[in-house]
Amino acid sequence: MKRIILMISLLVSAIASAQIPSVVVENIKGESYQTKSLLEEGTPMIISFWSTSCKPCIRELDAVYDALPDWKEEVDFRVVAVSTDDSRLMAKAKSFAEGRGWGEDFLLLFDKNQDFMRAMNVSVVPHVFVTDGKGKIVYSHTSYVPGNEVELFEAIKKVCGK
Amino acid sequence: MKRLFLILSASVAMAAFADAQENKGYLTGSLETNNHYYMDDNAVGTSVDGDRFASNDYLKLDYYNGNFSAGMQMEGYLPAIIGYNTEAYPSVLSGFDLSNFYASWKDDSFSVTAGTFYDQFGSGLLFRSWEDRALGINNAVLGARVTYTYKNILSLKALWGLPRFGMGLFTSSDREFANTATQIRGGDVSFSVSDLLGWNNLYLAIEGSALSRFEPIANEALKKEGAQESTLGWSARANLEYSGFFLKGEFVDAGWKYFGNPDYDWLDSNSNKYTGKKGNAALVDLGYNGRGLGVTLTARRLEYMSSHIFADPDNGDLRGLVGNTLNYIPALCTQYTYMLTNLHPYTAFSPSILSADNRTSGEMGFQFDAFYNFRRGTAIGGKRGMKIHANFSTYYGIAKEYTMKTGEMLFRDFSFDVERQWTKKFKMLLMYSYQKYGNVRLQNIFVADLLYKFTNKLSTRLELQYLSTKQDEKDWMAALVEVNFAPHWSVFASDMYNHGSSGTHYYNFGVSYSKSRTRVALGYGRYKDGYICSGGVCRRIPAYTGANLTVTTSF
Repeated sequence: MKRIILMISLLVSAIASAQIPSVVVENIKGESYQTKSLLEEGTPMIISFWSTSCKPCIRELDAVYDALPDWKEEVDFRVVAVSTDDSRLMAKAKSFAEGRGWGEDFLLLFDKNQDFMRAMNVSVVPHVFVTDGKGKIVYSHTSYVPGNEVELFEAIKKVCGK
Repeated sequence: MKRLFLILSASVAMAAFADAQENKGYLTGSLETNNHYYMDDNAVGTSVDGDRFASNDYLKLDYYNGNFSAGMQMEGYLPAIIGYNTEAYPSVLSGFDLSNFYASWKDDSFSVTAGTFYDQFGSGLLFRSWEDRALGINNAVLGARVTYTYKNILSLKALWGLPRFGMGLFTSSDREFANTATQIRGGDVSFSVSDLLGWNNLYLAIEGSALSRFEPIANEALKKEGAQESTLGWSARANLEYSGFFLKGEFVDAGWKYFGNPDYDWLDSNSNKYTGKKGNAALVDLGYNGRGLGVTLTARRLEYMSSHIFADPDNGDLRGLVGNTLNYIPALCTQYTYMLTNLHPYTAFSPSILSADNRTSGEMGFQFDAFYNFRRGTAIGGKRGMKIHANFSTYYGIAKEYTMKTGEMLFRDFSFDVERQWTKKFKMLLMYSYQKYGNVRLQNIFVADLLYKFTNKLSTRLELQYLSTKQDEKDWMAALVEVNFAPHWSVFASDMYNHGSSGTHYYNFGVSYSKSRTRVALGYGRYKDGYICSGGVCRRIPAYTGANLTVTTSF
């Protein structure tokens, strides 16, 4: 036990800003997608972890989807919706996202064995992150109630310098 | 073994620390604590015999520095909350200890992981190691994994290790439940034909896996009747996608599984006590996604597919534990989220034991889902759009093993829901669900879910639900009211009332506070016996009344 505590204290002393770890997920076609490719465009991002059985997650992404045309008039950013549904519901999650129109405006990723979710230390969904253009996490929030999207927009405006 | 891993852990930490001095990496982690306080409740006859207080706690830490990462998880069950352990096995999850630990290095082509890791082959029918805290499943593999990727064309994976059972191998030496016996060795290959040939519109991948499972057998009778300590399973898969149309197929030969022979006659010396069965499954996903339409048809047949870490055919209690698993066989039907729609969830039928009365070897059936978005500005969509969803699923037992002959109908459901944002402030969802469980139960459920936003910060949600059935406990009604004060507070109260038979109220109320990555929820209620389901797998919980406090945070 002593060694464990020693190890934790050593690790804690090495904290710097969290970033996006490199993990393999799937895109809507079923192809492998390296999460580090998210950084290639160099734009700030909203990364939202959701699942088909999580009602607040769906409400949050719907709210973002509805507000997106207005938000995009002010700042340039991307929305990445990461489904944490496992292989049982992954095919359904793809149809679900398409059936809500999200595919037009969001980058849809599917994390069927929750590797990305674990690497980002998301233990409950909904969980949303805002990153700058280099992938540095500048804001994160767990759970959603209507109105939380206002705070999210403020965070993305701040990272865009507005 | 334990010492070896502790030495490894210290070295990894030192290496990480030394490296961090040069090039600061970052640490991230999460903490979750679920606490229950149980109370006597004469109205439903629940009384507390043992501990009134129970707590499940998880601390996870990960350190990243360039290509290198390392991490650990500690878990405490002080003791485990209700339903996590069973009567036959009351302390599988108990105490406080280091349960998972890993160090990993990866670049664009290679990765190497030592310690505990999660993985799955294909859909998980052959092999899946994962964590589901709601169910008490964590069968992370303790061992080593190597992966290699060549562009987007080829992916190879090889792994070896001991699947975790109970608290894992780092547990105190006096603990009874740690897997030091069952080992797995596996390989997985994925080959993208379309990337090799440079097809742009069509995606085609061919995949395959093999898994060898080793478990020492002390039972001489079982050995004599042919059971092997090493068994081999494999799967073959194909994924095809073209302009939104997709087709996925998977076939699994899961190898030999041994069961107690339901025809065993102990008076007859020629009678076999055990019987070997070949596990097998087939899964097909077919559909289309595009232009606001999503349609999926999933068909699956599975037979003798339960795969256990400890497979003792004489011990049905052990085989029945949700955490004693090496693969993933979820129910393929809608996972409902409303109280009454989820009162009697279906679980996939895959026998852990065979009996003279029930020799059904597995199940076969399909589910169909369709989602459609009527866009804003269309005649039906109106000013703000409208979303509809329909689902149908049906499952049958297999009447004769290794055939396509269907037996008894196990489950069937149909559901339809429509969701519409009427005004900027008001959103409505209406749902109907028909559920039939063989000849045992037929129920119709109606749900209305109404959301009203008074201001940008103040909103309220109301759920009204009704379940109608002639069987079992007859009719139910339920209601939930939630008031949200964005961005931090939410309060709710709900009641599920069995007015058709017992007249019992299952009330529940609570409050939650969220800020940044932290959420605190406090609740009190009376809970019905039943199932907690997550990802199509369910865990039985007994009835209880009490308070619960959950805190989750990450950093």
